[in-house]
This record gives sequence, structure tokens and C-alpha cells, in this order.
Amino acid sequence: MGDLFSNLGLGFGVVFNLVQWSPAFLGGMSIPIPVNILLCLIGALVGTLVGVLPGIGTIATVAMLLPITFGLPPVGALIMLAGIYYGAQYGGSTTSILVNIPGEAGSVVTALDGFQMAKQGRAGPALAIAAIGSFFAGCVATVLIAVLGAPLTRVALAFGPAEYFSLMVLGLIFAVVLAKGSVLKAIAMIVLGLLLSMVGSDIETGASRMAFNIPELADGLGFATVAMGLFGFAEIIRNLDTGGESDRELVQQKVSGLMPTAKDLKDSTPAVLRGTVLGSILGILPGGGAVIASFAAYTLEKKISRTPSRFGRGAIEGVAAPESANNAAAQTSFIPLLTLGIPPNAVMALMVGAMTIHGIVPGPQVMQKQPELVWGMIASMWVGNLMLLVINLPLVGIWVRLLRVPYRLMFPSIVIFCSIGIYSVNNAPVDVMLAGAFGIVGYWLIKHDFEPAPLLLGMVLGPLMEENLRRALLISRGDWSVFITRPLSAVLMLIAATLLVLAVLPSLRKKRDEVFVESEN
Amino acid sequence: MSNKPVQEEGKSILPTWIKGPQDFIGGLALVALALFALWASRDLQGMHGFSFGAGTAPRMFSVLLLGLGAAIAAVGVLSEGAHLAKYHWRGPLFVTLAILSFALTIRPMGMIFAAMTSFLIAACGSAETRWTETVIVGACLTAFCSLLFPYALGLPLQLLPTFLIR
Amino acid sequence: MNWYGRALAHASLAAAISLGASTAQAQTYPTRNITMIVPFAAGGPTDVIARIVTGQMAPALGQSIIIENVVGAGGTTATTRAARATNDGYTLITGHMGTHAASVPLYPKLAYHPEKDFEPVALLAGTPILILARKDFPPKDLKEFVAYVKANADKVNAAHAGIGSVSHVSCELLNSVLGIKPVGVPFNGTGPAMNALVAGQVDYMCDQIVNAVPQINGGTIKAYAIATPERNPSLPNVPTTTEAGLPAFQAQAWNAIFAPKGTSPEIIAKLNATAAKALDDENVKKRLLDLGSVIPAPADRTPQALGTLVKNEVAKWSSVLKPATN
Repeated sequence: MGDLFSNLGLGFGVVFNLVQWSPAFLGGMSIPIPVNILLCLIGALVGTLVGVLPGIGTIATVAMLLPITFGLPPVGALIMLAGIYYGAQYGGSTTSILVNIPGEAGSVVTALDGFQMAKQGRAGPALAIAAIGSFFAGCVATVLIAVLGAPLTRVALAFGPAEYFSLMVLGLIFAVVLAKGSVLKAIAMIVLGLLLSMVGSDIETGASRMAFNIPELADGLGFATVAMGLFGFAEIIRNLDTGGESDRELVQQKVSGLMPTAKDLKDSTPAVLRGTVLGSILGILPGGGAVIASFAAYTLEKKISRTPSRFGRGAIEGVAAPESANNAAAQTSFIPLLTLGIPPNAVMALMVGAMTIHGIVPGPQVMQKQPELVWGMIASMWVGNLMLLVINLPLVGIWVRLLRVPYRLMFPSIVIFCSIGIYSVNNAPVDVMLAGAFGIVGYWLIKHDFEPAPLLLGMVLGPLMEENLRRALLISRGDWSVFITRPLSAVLMLIAATLLVLAVLPSLRKKRDEVFVESEN
Repeated sequence: MSNKPVQEEGKSILPTWIKGPQDFIGGLALVALALFALWASRDLQGMHGFSFGAGTAPRMFSVLLLGLGAAIAAVGVLSEGAHLAKYHWRGPLFVTLAILSFALTIRPMGMIFAAMTSFLIAACGSAETRWTETVIVGACLTAFCSLLFPYALGLPLQLLPTFLIR
Repeated sequence: MNWYGRALAHASLAAAISLGASTAQAQTYPTRNITMIVPFAAGGPTDVIARIVTGQMAPALGQSIIIENVVGAGGTTATTRAARATNDGYTLITGHMGTHAASVPLYPKLAYHPEKDFEPVALLAGTPILILARKDFPPKDLKEFVAYVKANADKVNAAHAGIGSVSHVSCELLNSVLGIKPVGVPFNGTGPAMNALVAGQVDYMCDQIVNAVPQINGGTIKAYAIATPERNPSLPNVPTTTEAGLPAFQAQAWNAIFAPKGTSPEIIAKLNATAAKALDDENVKKRLLDLGSVIPAPADRTPQALGTLVKNEVAKWSSVLKPATN
């Protein structure tokens, strides 16, 4: 324990480090400047911006800003880059809630209930609870990293391909539970998502799959491209159908308070707590665990809720839980980096790049060799989360005011922002066209009452599932029993099976009820 | 997504024994898509020994989708369901044109031109558009984007047409 | 003067003008920013080397060099783009062993050819390749390793960072030298592959020195040998493959600047001289050596030497990788 406090002391010392700035015009006087605090603030601000702008992803921004950090001391550079990463988690919920456009995989489920809340004039409470939930989760996860970082590393190492595959199966079951309407249609959408995720090149042989010799498809369909199309563009087209104007005016009349009410807070507290726990655990897993954190948290809330029918119709828990989960996961995903020196995702790989350029290549001894760096970063995360809360709560009012912009001006603006965002991911015009095509597909899906959220989840899980299944079978030489003989994997499979039974039983019963109701009419 | 879209019923050209045309057509489209995917992945290698080939998973999912699509179509035949929704052409057409125009002009013409043109084309998609206002907002937005993306975020976006730079 | 004489005169005049323009262009080159395409993610070994060297080249050229990271399909997406770029010296690419050699046998439908579609400019730095294994893998040294994997060829698993990655192609070379065909387990990038090795889920892999040094020093994995002629200062205790008894396994992930075919020789000469000078800068040298990189000797820095290297490498990988993909 003593160690912990001295380490945290060291960390906060680094964060609050003052650099004496003595410019010539002050004539020898010097001003102390908290450089690292400022860098943390810049990171948090840029991250919020990146999260808010649809399409512009964290990876692209961190990659773009990487060269700027070369001139900074390594600790400062990493504090700033980390700020961008978790700052984007805060900002990501904004467009999901306001205009139903999830910027990143983590905020897809936030759109489900968040946008409904906005439609009911409750965008303010939705945005505020997202920020508060994220802050709470960020704090808990930071403490977790500081106290249990090293032991939790074992979780990352215990997760092999077999465990991963089982987790992905569990994730797919979650996706079924996500469905509001017909389970059959939801499963079809998941499978369609899985099929779309197959486009690209095969991991084992490098063979091109269903890419039709289009170079931009060689690595598959981008998540941002499909999400922008199915959610962003399709939503616009649909609104134009029904005369968006009247819809919007309705929203403005209904705008109630900006901040959550006491009841909102009471409803969302347990959801935030559960989301934090789930997110913290899933975040540690290397390569994609964080992606399913928000899906898992949403599903859990829906499953244990006494009134699951409220979900998808503006339940505040449906915003609080996934937002807490994805921020918790964003923080704990630093654990493999800080304790093993292994980057668990692409953004972390960029941070390793930033360290490499400064001549620090992180490894298992990074905590002993670079204590100021590790503890400085951990301390900065807490400071950064606090800053984000302070930045985001006042912003809520501004965002809600944005909803008053007439839809006839709003929708072309969204088209432009989305187009620029998608283009900037790879500088590829084809991506923009693909998103346009998915807009039409999304419009068609809406017309046929198919939901796009399970499709997106299928797309995210597809490659992870296939690759890990193949890895597991390669290592076990084709022995399928690995999925139930490895204890962790077996537990996950068991949970998946239980969930499936729980999910299918009531829906079958409901189906009968529905038929019954209809025949009565 | 969201609550059920306001479905305006179009005239059904389908025979009356199809009780849920919306699901029927939806299911058939998925079947067609699955068949297309099967065709597109026809020359990929299948299972070899204990390991998956490149084509194993795509074919597996295609077949699954085929079955699910057929099941949805069957539900559409057998149980009473929604009618086909009415499609509008104006919104989809102009929004798609705007996106296409952006994609085609961003590289040769730069962002200022691409964003402005695309904004104006998209605005044609709504009957409520008032032109003076749209042009002003479009210009402001283009100016804002030109500052935000290349400068504030440092993205490598070209602002001016290529022929002006050379 | 008959009509074709006039036409000829016009043509030669036009040629003279364009020639004059091109030499004038070459003399004043560069007059605007240069785009350097890096076919891999920012922060990777190739990107870091490109940034360190171009950071030194830019002031010498008097223009900024903007790095554009274009990822995808083992770097071939970016390389295709570079091959099709205008050959005016304002679009360059930092290619490496994978994009400008191993890609030829790996991708039968490759839209460019490293020799035919590019002008070699300058070799930057090489990253040595190590033979690594999980820490509790039974063999103690390279000799035992060779014997062990040969005896257990059907049981061992080799990890790699994805088709076309340095770790993949160098592992294929090792396997062909050893004459074995172990099960190759593909991962998405070096991070996940290293994670699997540290966790002991796979047995061995070949990888670039940058990622491996801290793990070796931390004792989470072990290194049998380094596939360069000399030991590396960052890992003085790791023997070379020659010392350890496997001289046939020599591999280095070289990185080099290329320009699209037809870029004027004057521009190439200018870029080459600037790059060579940058490599002699003490700061650049120190940072590259810190990464474990090998800086080419002056004789290897000419465009001609790079051209020869590409030719030899294409031939080498074509013989190693052809059988692997079929």
C-alpha cells in the first residue's frame, strides 16, 4: 500500500510538474507553467472534438498528431495522446445522441436509447449522464490500473484464441438480445454483418475475398464507412421522407431540463456501476475486448431490467451503462501496455510508436525502468477525466441548442461532416461512395423494418470470431474440444448457452402472445 | 432504427396470398444477397485438413443467411404483416448525388469546392430549402471545415483545386 | 522546308522546351512540399525510420516532407498509389523488404512491380531479424532449436504478424532453410503476435529487433540468434546465426526511399545525396542505432546499389515464398 501511495505521489508530481518559463520580455522574471496539465487539457479537448465529429477516428487523429509530439518530452507526449484516446470516448456519445450517428463502434448502442431520449426532448439528461457515467467509470478504472494493474495482466495473458472465440460467441448472443422486434430478423442482420465483415483479405492465406479487385476493399469494409452509411446517411434520407421539419419542431417544444433529474440519477446509478465493472474487465483483453464492452453492458441492463420494453425507447440506463462501460474499457486497455509493453489495439500501437521515437521501447520492465512515465500517465488519466467532465457538462447546453438549427440546414451539414470524416480515414474517395451506397441500403433496411445495430455488431465481431476460431483450431490441430476443455473458454460458452436459452424462451412466448393479440383483433 | 418509421402504404403489386409483403420482399432480398455472396466466394479455397480455408467462413455465413432469408420470406407469406412502405425519390437521389459529388471532386478540386457543391446538391433534397439562407450557411460551413480539419486537426486535406497548386 | 520537316522542327523545339523545363525544374527542386508515403501505420519500424531520416532531409532540401501513412494489404495499397503518382519528385515512398520484394511472389495480382514501376532513390536503414521463442520452449540454443523443430515439425506452432509482414516472410525463409513446414498461426500485427508468444500460446516466431529487445531483456521471451553478419549493440549476448550454426539464415528488413518510374535523374541524385548526408548526421545515427537498426555503408547508399538490392531480394523471396503460397 505504501508503495502505491509513493507511486501515485510520483505520478501526480509528474502531472503537476511546473516548468519555469522566462521569456526575454519579462526581463528575468519567470512564470511557472504546468506543462503536463496543459498537454492533458489539449489532449482532452482534441479528443472531445474527434469524438464529436462523425467519421474522424481516434486512430487517424493520433496518427496525425504523432509528429507534433516528437518535439515534446515523452511523458507529456503520452499524456496528450492518452487524453485524445479517452477524450474521444466522451465525445463519441454526442453525435449518437443528437443525430443518431455513432462515430465509433463503442457508441453504436448509445444511439439506440440516446437518440430516442433526444427525440423526447431529453438530449440534455442523456448527454449529461453519458459524461457523468464516463467520469465515474474513468475514476474507478484508473484506481484499478494503479492498484491491480500488474495482477490483472494475467487476464490478458490467459486469453488465448480459444477463449477469444468463446467470448465472441457470447458477444453474438448479446447481439440477439439487442433486438427490439423480430428475433429472426435480428439474427439475419447479424449474419449479414458477419458476411460483410468477410470482405477483404483472408488472414491465413492473404487471398482476396469478395473484394472484386477494388483496392479499397482489399482490407475490408471500414467500420466508420458502414456505420456512417447505415446510421448517418440512411437517417437523413428517412427524415427527408417524412418531412424532418415538423419532427424537429416537436423536439424543440419538448426540450425539458438540461440536467438529469433525481429520478434519472437514481435509475442510472446501478447501471453505471455495472457498466463500469463489465467495461473494466473487458478492456484488459487484448485486441478488441473493449469493442464489445458497451454492447455487453447494454444487454446486461436490458436483461436484468424489470421493464425491458423501455429499452430502445429512451431508457436512461441504456445510455448510462454503455457509456460507462466504454470509458472504463478505454482506461483499462492501458494495462497491457503499461505492464507488458504490448499494445492491445491500434491506438496503443501508435503510442508505442511515440515512445519508440523518443527512444523508449516499452516492455515488461517499463514500470521499473520508467516509473515517472507510467505513474505520470496513470495520474494524468484521473486529471484528464476530471477535465473532461468539466468540459462536457457545460457543452451539453450548447449541443442541445444545436438541435434548434432547422433540419433543412442541418442535414446538408451532416452530409458534409460525414463525407469529410469518412474521406479522412484513408484519404480514399471510394470509401465515401461506399458509405453513400450503405446509406441507400440502410434506407431500404428501415423500409423493411430491419435494424442496423445488430448488423454493425456482426461486422465488428465477424473477423475477431473467424480469426480466433481459425487460430484456436490451428494450434489444437483441428480439435474442437478446446473450446470446452479450457476452463475459461468453457465458462464463457456456458454463459453464452444460458443467455441464448433465456433470450429465446421469452421471445417464443411473446410471439405466441402477439399472435394471440392479433387474432383477437 | 428508432421507433417504427411512419409507414405510408404503397399499392401492393404482390398477390394477395402474401400476407406480409414487407417481410416477404425483405427475405427474398437477403436470399438474393446470400446467393450473390456464394457466387462471389465460389473460387475461394474450402476446408483443407483441419484448417479453415479462405472460403469456409464466407460460405458458412452465406448459407446461414440464405436460410434466414428464406425463413423471413416464409413468415411473410404465412403471417399477417406490414405492407410495403412507400419510397420517395427526392431525398435519396439528392443526398446520394451530394455524396457522389463529394467523392469525385475532393481529390481533383480540393475540399472548398467539394464541400460547397456537395452542400448545395444535398440541399436540393428537401422541398423546404430556402436558397439565400442555404448559400450563406453552406459558405460558412465550408469556411469552418477548411479551418477545422486541415489546421485544427492537422489532417492532410487539400483545400484548393490541384491545377491551382501546380 | 516540307511539312514533315516543319513538324520535326516543332517537335524538337517542344522537346527542347520540355527538356529545358525539366532540368530547370530539377535545379530548383524542390519548390513545394514533398509527400512521403509510408505504407504502414505511424509508429511502426518503417514509419519511425522514415520520420527520423526525413526529419533531417527536410531542412537540407528547404521544404517540408509530409508523411502520409497509408495502410492496407501488407503495404501494397500504398505502394500501388505511389507507383501511379506523378513522377515529378513530389511524391515519394519509403518502401521496405515486404512492399518492394516479397510482395512479388505473395500477391500474384500485384498492380505494380518494384523494379519496373519505381526508381530506386536511397537505402535508409535495416532492421535485423531475430529468432524468438516463448520463454519455456525446451531448446536452449539455436542448435537445439534446429534439432527440436525438425524432430517435432508437426507439433510446433510459429506465430507471425499477418501475411506479407516482415515476421511472416522471414519466418518462411527460416522454415525453408530448415526444410520444415510448421503450422503458421497468423495474428493481426506484431502486438497480438508478441502477446501470444509472451503468453506461451505459440512456440516461436521471427521478428524485427525493435519490438523484441525489451521483452528479451525482461525475460518474457528468449532469443536464439540474430540473422545479421554481426552482433547488435542492443543485444550483445545474442549470437549471430553464423556463430550459432545456421549461416544460411540471413535476413534484414531493409527500408528505402523510392520514386515513381521516370522521375528525373537529377532529382533522384539530389534526394540520394540528401538522404546519404542525413544518415551521417550524429543525431540521426544515434537514434537509428538506439532502435537496433543497421545503417548502410556508404557504398550501399547509391541508387544503383539499391536497384541491385531490390533485384536480388525479389529473386530471393520469389524462390522462398512461391512454394509457400500454393
